[in-house]
Amino acid sequence: MSIELTMPRLSDTMETGTIIKWNVGVGDEVAAGDVVADIETDKATMEMQVFDDGVIAGLLVDPGNQVPVGTLIAVLAEEGESVEDVSLDSNGTSAAPAAPAAPAAAPPVESKSVSAPSAPRAATPGSGEKLKVSPVARRIASERGIDLVLLKGTGPGGRIIKRDVLGYEAAPAAAAPAQSITSPAPLTSGEEPLSGMRQTIARRLVESKTTIPHYQVSMSFDMESLVDIRAQVNERLAPQGRKVSVNDFIVKACALAISEHRYFNASFGGDRVHFHAGINIGVAIALPEERGGGLVVATIRDADRLPVGDIAVAARALAEKARTRGLSPEDMSDSTFTISNLGMFGVDHFTAIINPPNSAILACGAAIEQPVVRDGAIVPGVRMTATLSLDHRVIDGAMAARYLQTLKQLVEKPAMLLV
Amino acid sequence: MQTAIGTDHLDFSVPEPRNALTSKLGSDTTTSWLRDMMLIREFEVRTMQAYQDRKIGGFCHVYIGQEAVAVGTIAALEKKDPLVTAYRDHGHALARGMDPKYCMAEMYGRIGGCAKGKGGSMHMFDRINNLYGGHGIVGAQTPLGAGLAFGTKYIDEVIEKGRSNRVTLCFLGDGALNQGAFHEALNLAGLLELPVIYIVENNGYSMGTAIHRGTTMADSICEKARGYGIRACEIDGMDVLNVYDAMKPLVDEVRETGRPAFVDMRTYRFKGHSMSDPRKYRPREEEEVYESGDPIAKLRDTLMSQGAIDDAGFKALGKEIRLEVRDAMKWAEASPAPTPEEELYRDVYVEAWGPYTGTTEPQMIKECEGTHGQDG
Amino acid sequence: MTRTIEYRDALNEAMSEEMRRDERVFLLGEEVAEYDGAYKVSRGMLQEFGPKRVVDTPISESGFSGMAIGAAMLGLRPIVEFMSWSFSLVAADPILNNAPKMLYMSGGQFGCPIVIRGNDGAGGQLGSTHSWCVEGLYANVPGMKMVIPAFPADAKGLLKSAIRDDDPVFFLESERLLAYKDEVPEEEYLIPIGKALVRRPGTDCTLVSFGRPVHFCLEAAEELAREGISCEVIDGRTIRPLDIDTIVQSVKKTNYCVVVDQSWPFASPGAEIAAQVHAACFDDLDNAVGRVHSADVPTPYASELEQEYLPNARRICEAVRATTYNA
Repeated sequence: MSIELTMPRLSDTMETGTIIKWNVGVGDEVAAGDVVADIETDKATMEMQVFDDGVIAGLLVDPGNQVPVGTLIAVLAEEGESVEDVSLDSNGTSAAPAAPAAPAAAPPVESKSVSAPSAPRAATPGSGEKLKVSPVARRIASERGIDLVLLKGTGPGGRIIKRDVLGYEAAPAAAAPAQSITSPAPLTSGEEPLSGMRQTIARRLVESKTTIPHYQVSMSFDMESLVDIRAQVNERLAPQGRKVSVNDFIVKACALAISEHRYFNASFGGDRVHFHAGINIGVAIALPEERGGGLVVATIRDADRLPVGDIAVAARALAEKARTRGLSPEDMSDSTFTISNLGMFGVDHFTAIINPPNSAILACGAAIEQPVVRDGAIVPGVRMTATLSLDHRVIDGAMAARYLQTLKQLVEKPAMLLV
Repeated sequence: MQTAIGTDHLDFSVPEPRNALTSKLGSDTTTSWLRDMMLIREFEVRTMQAYQDRKIGGFCHVYIGQEAVAVGTIAALEKKDPLVTAYRDHGHALARGMDPKYCMAEMYGRIGGCAKGKGGSMHMFDRINNLYGGHGIVGAQTPLGAGLAFGTKYIDEVIEKGRSNRVTLCFLGDGALNQGAFHEALNLAGLLELPVIYIVENNGYSMGTAIHRGTTMADSICEKARGYGIRACEIDGMDVLNVYDAMKPLVDEVRETGRPAFVDMRTYRFKGHSMSDPRKYRPREEEEVYESGDPIAKLRDTLMSQGAIDDAGFKALGKEIRLEVRDAMKWAEASPAPTPEEELYRDVYVEAWGPYTGTTEPQMIKECEGTHGQDG
Repeated sequence: MTRTIEYRDALNEAMSEEMRRDERVFLLGEEVAEYDGAYKVSRGMLQEFGPKRVVDTPISESGFSGMAIGAAMLGLRPIVEFMSWSFSLVAADPILNNAPKMLYMSGGQFGCPIVIRGNDGAGGQLGSTHSWCVEGLYANVPGMKMVIPAFPADAKGLLKSAIRDDDPVFFLESERLLAYKDEVPEEEYLIPIGKALVRRPGTDCTLVSFGRPVHFCLEAAEELAREGISCEVIDGRTIRPLDIDTIVQSVKKTNYCVVVDQSWPFASPGAEIAAQVHAACFDDLDNAVGRVHSADVPTPYASELEQEYLPNARRICEAVRATTYNA
């Protein structure tokens, strides 16, 4: 009996997947657990394993094609079957073994016959439900090249309506990487389709920026002590090939500060605020161009209880995984507060867009040597500016200021971070 | 002292002696009536045959037995006088002068039918011969009859500035006596003094219901008309000479006075109400009595006794008529069915709009215009 | 040049002008002659045209409407006045089975150029038997045209067109509009049957109505404008033929449509318009077509109930807000 391999559901919200590449070819032997393909979901590029031993009898979807979850994408010949024995019926939609006695070879499988009937992209929401779109919204989006998946429907039952499309178009440029996919300007010199991740980023950040009442509060931190301690720690860790980054300290500091300010570990819930049990700090990780670029947020769970060294290990492992194999859904879920750090690029300060359902995100600039006034004299110092973006429905300005005060104490007197 | 409506003038006396008028007409005319009645009879027999051969669909009601009524009353009319009737209408159409081929083709549902096959057995119309329909709903034609009379009077008086000089015949069955429309129509005809004659073809049955089971004063239905101030009389409708003798002076008087009249025309249908009627509601003996008084045989015998026709001549006439009806059936058979592309959306509105393609006249009008022009 | 006259006088002028122009035209109905019209629409016409052309009939709708149809078959052009379309139900056979079908059944031999006119819809606390809206019942029948003007100028121009029309025209007036005064041109004019009018331009939602509820729509549009919702009010003027093109043109612009119809909702002209808009403008709609009808109950007598029963401005505003996602 041949085995059908269908597009797997590799995330909770995945509706369609794109074959990035096949790791196997027709005739290759595979064993259960082998990774046969890389598949891009709405969230990440994932590995597709097989669950049976066998020989690849057919690859039905070409790399680059997007098909709905459940679509037959490959056929595996089981032990005892030859690849030739495994054929597809004329529709190419289900695999069936040819009768062993059949003398004639089955018609060759055409990969297009399967990839063609994939669902229209616009019908592929991130929410896991069938996308509801008013007819005119669908038409306008189609005319202007707006991917409906990026939109949040404000009509009944989440229906995407005209104003959602027009509002998306009118949104300020700062809000959206998505802005770049509106109708091509006359001067464009080319275009490329958005990857699934890009589409997800676009949709989620537009949703965040347009539905959450953002505001920002900044504070400057004296980093001298922390830089000093880090240097001491790294000196001792170097022989083990380990090191701790400034950001690892900030993760710890933010987590400890949150334990004193519970609204920073909460989500807006319409008529209530939800508080989360664990303090899970999301860390934004930029992905390399060769993996399609983009941005993921890896989660460091219970960061308030982890020693900085363990935070460093976890952060490093997640970054490595993100840049090579891709993060698993568990790696990316359940963050309660996010940190985005562009310090390594020399950025002074910036603001970030809240990562829902978080209520706050901290944007950290670089720790920069600069003149500071100390005891009435101008002396060299190291300072960092961090900016909180906040959901005003959950956190008011004074609350944010108090949180930053706590954070400032922890960062500027970092001994507590080592406890 | 005078009441608003006198009763003394409401009786209409049948002229005496019998055949006073017809005896003066000459045998050519009366022989032509024999021919007309025989044509209707043969036509209806073939209609029954064609119905059973499934060449005719829907409801179909034949006129066999009542031929003297249509032929005798219409003989008393002028061509300009409008006529409207109910659904048992083939006899009236033929008596009024419609070529049997158009009538048969209508029942065959063919484009050559008098209404392009859109009306069917119950809805025979002939503009050139002033036949304003066959109407399918019992009693529906009675207000129309009042309206035709109102209309001719209006045209003659208001538009032509003359005096009313047309008479409308409105036929109805005895079943229509119990419809509201009939009573409203008679009230209006009496009230507005309309030149219309309501002729109840009283064959004793509304479908399967004997007249006394369906209406009050069944033996004297003229009283109903008198209740609306309309002169009324009974006429034996099984003798065409008698029908003409009674109708001619009545038509003349209505033309003269412009006032309505009502006739209880006693007749009998030899066949069932429709093609699907087993006639269980009446005894065979009753039918035999009436069949012995067949109006065609009666006129044949009269004409033979007068020497106007002999046995050979009668047989030759019968053969001629059989051929005529056979030709009509062949013609109907050969006429094409109306095509949906051409006819489905035509004749709904005079004006063409949306899916509607305006109106055109049937083949019958195109072929007869000028040859049967209205007189008067 | 225009002057301001009542709706009823506009009707009177239309009939009188056409009767002067064409001797085939005459008026009949209950109380049209000696009483001067139950609603004074035919005031003075008996004096001008005499009893042969302005004909009083008894209360006998089936009889006199059937009679008028018989006269129309002869080529005359009767105007039948029903004191109320509510009374037309007893004349259903002649007006539905004869007038609209005569041309077809006779294979093109006999048309029926008749105008049947009278008050349609709720008057004021007339109760359920006298408040009929016959649009839904009658517009279903092919072979007839249905005109339902909301303003005096339209009433005149459309009635003149109806009288000249070769097909049967059902002309629906409203007791509540008879005293409505508005500008009507001095000079002779006709308004074609089957053409809607944009009564108030707007950008955010198309309101389609006909007859008396057009006024409710204009009232609602005024209120909605204060909320920032700009309604385009289309006065259909004719239900059959329906000027769907004008409606579609507007909906393509606004992307929203609310139909306001004083009929009951089930199988009504409003339902028909909604279906046609959905079919013609599917890709232009941001929401399903909204519908406001009379409540789906017999017309109540009590004033409070009757006001809520009608497709009033408040109910229209609610429907527009809901349809445009502004609820």
